[in-house]
Amino acid sequence: MPPAIPPAERLLNLVIALVNTSGRMTKEQVRASVAGYQDAPSDDAFERMFERDKDTLRELGIPVLTVTDAGHGDDIGYRIDAEQYALAPLDLTAGELGVLAMAAQVWQDQSLRADTSRALTKLRAVGAAPQSTDLVAGLAPRVRSGGGAIGPLLDAVQARQVVRFVYRAANTGEVRERTVEPWKLLARRGGWLLVGRDRERDAPRSFRLSRVEGTVRLVGAPGAFEPPPAEELASALHPWEERPERVATLAVLPERAGAARARAVPAPDDAPDVRSDPRLAAVLAHRDVVHVPFRLDWELAEELVGYGDAVVVLDPPSVRHAVLHLLRTAATLDRTTVGGGTDG
Amino acid sequence: MAERASDRLLRMLGMITYLDRHAGVPVEEIAEQFGVTADQVLSDIDTLWVTGTPGYFPHDLIDFDAASYEQGVVRLTESRGMTRPLRLGAREAVALLAALRALDSSLRPALDAEQSAVLSSALDKLTTAAGDAAAALDVRLGLDAAPEVATAVATALRNGRRLHLRYVDASDVTTERDVDPLRLVTDDERSYLLAWCRLVDGERLFRVDRILAAQVLDAPVADHTVAPDAAEFQPGPDGELVTLHLRSSARWVAESTPVEAVRNLDDGSFEVDLRVLRPAWLRHLVLQVADEVLDVRPARVATEVAAAARAALAAYGPLADEEG
Repeated sequence: MPPAIPPAERLLNLVIALVNTSGRMTKEQVRASVAGYQDAPSDDAFERMFERDKDTLRELGIPVLTVTDAGHGDDIGYRIDAEQYALAPLDLTAGELGVLAMAAQVWQDQSLRADTSRALTKLRAVGAAPQSTDLVAGLAPRVRSGGGAIGPLLDAVQARQVVRFVYRAANTGEVRERTVEPWKLLARRGGWLLVGRDRERDAPRSFRLSRVEGTVRLVGAPGAFEPPPAEELASALHPWEERPERVATLAVLPERAGAARARAVPAPDDAPDVRSDPRLAAVLAHRDVVHVPFRLDWELAEELVGYGDAVVVLDPPSVRHAVLHLLRTAATLDRTTVGGGTDG
Repeated sequence: MAERASDRLLRMLGMITYLDRHAGVPVEEIAEQFGVTADQVLSDIDTLWVTGTPGYFPHDLIDFDAASYEQGVVRLTESRGMTRPLRLGAREAVALLAALRALDSSLRPALDAEQSAVLSSALDKLTTAAGDAAAALDVRLGLDAAPEVATAVATALRNGRRLHLRYVDASDVTTERDVDPLRLVTDDERSYLLAWCRLVDGERLFRVDRILAAQVLDAPVADHTVAPDAAEFQPGPDGELVTLHLRSSARWVAESTPVEAVRNLDDGSFEVDLRVLRPAWLRHLVLQVADEVLDVRPARVATEVAAAARAALAAYGPLADEEG
């Protein structure tokens, strides 16, 4: 008995047969003539093998088309349309391929890694011959993605399919099932987000993937909702857009707040003239004036409050107020907390 | 782990396309192109050679120039119409494009003009190939390093050189040290340099936004054995156990801080247990979440934080009284 034909070889024979067939091939023809299917010990085993192979090919982007013959009733045939699966003309230089190979290492998440490595194999086929590239591994960042939710959500966004998941709300801590029309996935410093329409609330919402508990399920059929109007999408995305950069003016004790000093910039033209303000003379007596760029008030306030008395925020007032608010609250912590009720 | 049949199929189809476009390619070059061993290429070619259209007579089969193959050079002579490159699946295109954008947003400052141009053109071509699917995902992860630091780190990683770092830690203490850089690690929140620190003779993660200065040294990096989980923060068994009881809106503390345990309470609030090695780090954390703190154990921590806050308010002087 000849050795069994390995699955990859059988799949390859199936693809070549269905691409080259003049019209179509029936299941029986596949079983009788395509090398590899003769190994199936029974009708059932053949059916399972053929169905699985069709699924595999579809997953790889090679759809097997079903062709019915008007003359033969329920006699179903199959073929693969080579034009349909072809990649649009794309030529990649060795350097570009090197960059893509590096990008393929970015995800630490298994399912995203599998997807990127498949994409890379397909692109390598049309890439220029390899040559040593300057961009090497080690330089590539490794990104921890938002857990198992990303894969199903990407599919759902693509297919416009409704998803359902259990979510822990940040402001109330409430844990509840959500049904969402997924619009877009965002990767931001601070985590992954899903933006979509919460069906129950009938309003756009953002969800942090880190607060999704358990698995994300796709429910209902693809194409279940219309893409959101551009305006609605833009307003839902607005909170996650990057804010314009501004510059804060700080009074810093010598040798302190090293990380803030490290990104200091020269005084901008519109910086307040703090040295000539008599009210600030005492604050500035033993401090350096440092200008630090920032985008979000609360982000800078949370960073600077940690330096305690080493940093005094002079400008803008919005950041100073945010820091002062945190300091005032913290200043009473020894009275508002009880230390577990044991020794307070 | 054995390779999946689908991955091997994909590569074999890719090889036909590639060999159709490049006449006569040495086995080693094919191996490099597809990122596999030369033995794997030989095995793939042997399989390709016996596949074809039903009948499987010699003229039905995919064929190569045998004389050339003997010399270790693969020349495709019959492709059975299989030369079209495969389209990218929507998810494949998006996953790769998102990775490329992550690379772009974190690495761009570390690249020279030529590398930057290559990255841009790769991004353009892939965005076009992905078509509508590209809109599904939006990636913006900044590498928060100063440009000079990013350039020095990139150069050292690329050339395998030792780095001299001036680094300020979470307690605002600045130190100088030599490190052998291993790689960049970016999580949801920040970027880190994983390196072998010669000061402590062990692997350490350095937050790149806390690297004040980096200088590429002439010395090459030494070989180090690094634990596979080196890029993960592990709360150690040392340090004082501190428990924070926080309102739900401070959930990010449980998500982005190495915590030992999280307990969700019925009213939506939660408790986290932390192992604290550096009091300054804890003080910073509690000041940041002051609005959300319901309780702190031990009570001494609250006393220390409150004292630090009062000292800071005093430093503001008249500025603190400005608004009611």
